[in-house]
Amino acid sequence: MTALVSFNHATLGYGRRVVLSDLTFEIPEGDFLGIVGPNGAGKTTILRAILRTLKPLAGSVSHAPNLRYGYVPQRDQVDYNFPLKVVDVVMMGRYDRIGLGRRPGSKDRDLACAALEHVGILDLADQQLVALSGGQKQRTLIARALVGQPNVLILDEPTSGMDLVSMTQILGLVRELHERDGLTVLMVSHALNEVANYVERIALVTSGEVRVGAVDEIMSPSVLSEIYGIPVDVEAVNGHRIVVARRLGYHGDVAHDV
Amino acid sequence: MFDAVLLFRDALYGTLVIALACSVLGVYVVLRRIVFVGAALAQLSSAGIALGLWLAGMGIAQGLTTHPIALSLAVTIVGVLFFGLGSGRARVPPDATLGVTYAVATAVGILLISKATTGEAHDIFLQGNILSITRFDTNVLMAVAVPVLAVHAIFYKEFLFMSFDRETARTLGFRVGAWNLFLYLTLGLVIAFAMQFAGVMLVFNFLVLPAVTGLLVSRSMGGTFLWSIVSALSAAVIGFSLSVPFDLPSGPAIIAVSGILALVAFLIRLAQRR
Repeated sequence: MTALVSFNHATLGYGRRVVLSDLTFEIPEGDFLGIVGPNGAGKTTILRAILRTLKPLAGSVSHAPNLRYGYVPQRDQVDYNFPLKVVDVVMMGRYDRIGLGRRPGSKDRDLACAALEHVGILDLADQQLVALSGGQKQRTLIARALVGQPNVLILDEPTSGMDLVSMTQILGLVRELHERDGLTVLMVSHALNEVANYVERIALVTSGEVRVGAVDEIMSPSVLSEIYGIPVDVEAVNGHRIVVARRLGYHGDVAHDV
Repeated sequence: MFDAVLLFRDALYGTLVIALACSVLGVYVVLRRIVFVGAALAQLSSAGIALGLWLAGMGIAQGLTTHPIALSLAVTIVGVLFFGLGSGRARVPPDATLGVTYAVATAVGILLISKATTGEAHDIFLQGNILSITRFDTNVLMAVAVPVLAVHAIFYKEFLFMSFDRETARTLGFRVGAWNLFLYLTLGLVIAFAMQFAGVMLVFNFLVLPAVTGLLVSRSMGGTFLWSIVSALSAAVIGFSLSVPFDLPSGPAIIAVSGILALVAFLIRLAQRR
């Protein structure tokens, strides 16, 4: 498999502040990678390096030629006060292809509608963005990312603040896009339990380090206990893995059942 | 009544140009929640005018440096660079930075104007003096407003994307910082020139109230711009026409009409929801 993005001993940070150091891993074509870790661990920093909006402080991050990303930002990063229709928002994904100072045409609208159909909300094309539910807004942003015909789809906390049903539907849709279209997908999340059951590989970001591996490799009690520094169990329920941290006592030691 | 208004028709034309330019830029000001950037820039602009009048009165500077427009523009551009390039790098919250700028610019302006000896009207900080607008002034305003509006018409897509979702725009290769600064520069340019005649209160009104009216009435970006322009021009014509025969201050009369239009738009929106 061709590597689309390669981290070569990359150190990432802002100014003099190093967030992550000596990262070496590759994202091959067709990958479905979950970048997981607690808030503040450096997931967004890795994302910015992948998206080329952050240069490494040391080492390098190389990208395959003509690589095009479809970026789905966190939902609260978008301002829903703008009086925009769903189809207008989706067309923004083609703005860089339309050219400076030019307006979207009928071809752009057709492609936007096709992208909306792809994510199952074509009937909402002329609705106001602000009137949509959380899940519908997320589908709109995914359609916007897809309309640019990307090689890699990147989603930043796509299920943040969603209820169980919407969360399951969105993760199912992303999985479907990967399987049906063969799209390379990177999904950033703080929720290991959500992501682990959908992705094929996990990049676990903790304490300034990144551990990358197949889901089975990362989702083992010994690896997770070592990474998190607390005893962790991995249970299986109907084929779904659930990570459970053992209860800690008052002084941080493991509480024993009576 | 109309005869009296016709006597001041050049002033009305100038006011309409200010209303048009501010009401278009105001849509971005309101949607991007930078209303107080508009207020701070207007106040900086007025401090620049005061500096020009003070320097002229004291005989310290000569030529263009004593001209209110030149200094107003210079001070406003400094403000534009400060806010446009991101004042948030310091450890002071952005709204506090705006508050400091607004308060200091107001105080400095009042101090300078209190010591200016040119005999200029001291109410420029609040009311301006739109009745003094001449045909030449209107042409100057047009020379600024037309290119700014043309830039906004041509680069609507870029300004919209950068304002709506700057992170995604950045990932698609848009130079978000440069576009942001460009937007602020057009805003600063319009404010600096409008301030010479309309004063802080009226410029701030034209930047905020028509856009709010547009957002209340319309459900599309195009409609919002259209209704913002219509309400600004209507407020300017109605307020101006009432102020001349009834001997009311023109700026506050226009603002009062703008307020009524915004209220009507709010009531319409409320009725639509029921």
